Order: sequence, then structure tokens, then C-alpha cells
Amino acid sequence: MGEADPDEALLARVAEGDPAAVRAIVARKLPRLMSLAQRMLGDAAEAEDVAQEAFLRIWKQAPRWRPGQAKFDTWLHRVTLNLCYDRLRRRREILTDEPPEQIDPGPAPDRGLEARDVAVRVSRALGALPDRQREAIVLCHYQELGNIEAAAVMGVSVEALESLLGRGRRALRTALADVVER
Amino acid sequence: MAVLTHERFEGFAEAFGGDVSRWPADARDAAALLMAAEPGFTQGVLARAETLDAALDAWRPTPASAGVTARILSAAPRLRRGWRLWLSPAVLGAGLAAACAAGVIVGVQLQERTSEASEVAVTNTLSAVSSLDLEEGA
Repeated sequence: MGEADPDEALLARVAEGDPAAVRAIVARKLPRLMSLAQRMLGDAAEAEDVAQEAFLRIWKQAPRWRPGQAKFDTWLHRVTLNLCYDRLRRRREILTDEPPEQIDPGPAPDRGLEARDVAVRVSRALGALPDRQREAIVLCHYQELGNIEAAAVMGVSVEALESLLGRGRRALRTALADVVER
Repeated sequence: MAVLTHERFEGFAEAFGGDVSRWPADARDAAALLMAAEPGFTQGVLARAETLDAALDAWRPTPASAGVTARILSAAPRLRRGWRLWLSPAVLGAGLAAACAAGVIVGVQLQERTSEASEVAVTNTLSAVSSLDLEEGA
């Protein structure tokens, strides 16, 4: 691994139970985990549950972390995505028994799109994407991972990542045509 | 450095968005060359990608609540037991008292040893003097 892991020193202090390091890693990682989980699940309350579970894994992993094997942030993204997929799977199992509620298809034609409306539309459009396309867009656009790191998190080649991103963004452009073509 | 075709440039914009600094590192230099050579085409492609970027950015995540932050912190590792024990006021106080007591004992012993050493030295001196007297007298 070429570049140093920016989280490594902090993680070692967390393993010692240093209270300042514990607070620092929560301040550094919690917003990123909330962003990742909310974009994957479309639900802030569930995202908090996922973030809490992910931190339990961090506390457990910190004393065992072996530097140089993987970047901590890459590992954390993979752990959090797995927790999100567990919830998405459970959600689908419930939905197969109960028909989904009717979702408002968008704003009424007589009023313009405001920022909040756009956010809701984006959330729904992203939620309607196939999982792997959504994951690629969340990692690259929202989490701002580079293509090599995002591909590593997803366990795919950089070419496959680019293909997932392209297909995902084309689908979003179609779903949000009235927003992006204004 | 490979030259980017129009199609490839569009492909990168479609996948990675309208901000070239977020494209794969190995494509950025070639992209910059094409942007310098064909600003009309490249600006049009990037502007179109940016409209989707802007829409995606409209969705901002809700920050974590104070409740979840507190729950996360309460489950965090604590200072290792040994250090916590050593840093507790009771242990620090006991340690200080023990150190003082040890200091007093060592001090007393040193004083006793010094006295003994002085006594031995005085005795030796007296013995030397007596033997000298005896030799002189002989």
C-alpha cells in the first residue's frame, strides 16, 4: 500500500481507550457514516442504527487493527455497506408479503420544484436504482472516494465501477429529467 | 499519455460528473489537453454533467442526533484498567504516602549506616594510634 493511512495513529489511541481519540474518531467518521447509510437506505433513523452498529465494530476492531493491510476508511465503508444491505434484504422480505404504499410521484404540476422537493425526488430516484449502481454513485459522488478506492470497497474492477456509474447516472438523469433539464 | 476521444471524454463525464478533479487521476491530464484544444465541446459536456451533480447535491443527509452520538460514545473503549487504577486519587494518595514512608526509612537507615561507618572509622583510627604507641614504646 503506497500512501499512509490517515486514520491509523488515531485508531491506535482509540484502542488504548484515550477519551480524546474516541471523541475525535466519532467527529471524523460519524458524519460520513450517516451520509453513506442515509443515501443507501433513504431513512435517517435507520441510518443512525447502522452508524451505531458500525461504531460497535470499530470499538471491537481497534485493538486488533493491523496497519498496512487495508485503509481503515475502506474497511469502514465495506462494514457499513454490509449493514445497509442486511437492512435492505430484511425490508424486501417484508415487502414481498405486504404491498408497498403508494408513493407520491412528484410535485403537483401547478407548483415549481423547490430545493426540498428536489431532495425528495433525488432520494426516491436513487432508492429506485439497482443496489450496485446506487452503491457506486454513493461512494463516488457523495462519499468522494476515488475510483480505485471505490472499486476496492465494491470488490470490482475500475472498469466495472465506471460502467455502474455511467448506467446509474443515466437512469437518474431520466428519472429527474424535469429537474436537470430545467 | 493517451489522447482522449470525444466519446471517452463524454464517458468520463457521464460516470464521474462535471468536475474533472474527481475523474480518475490517470485521465485528468488528457482531459485538460482536450479542454484546452476544444473548449466548446468539452464545456458543453461538463455543463450537462454538472446539472445532474447539482441535483444530487440537493439531497443533504440529516446530521446524527445527540442521542445516537451519546450512545456511540458510551459504548467506546475506556482507558485500560491498569492506567485507570494508577490514575485514581486513592491509589495516587496511597502511592504518595508509601513513597514518603520509604523515604523516611531509607533516610534513617542511611543515617544509622553513616554513624556505624563513623564509629568503625574512629575505632580503626584509635587502634592505629594504640599500635603506633606500642611500637614507639617498644
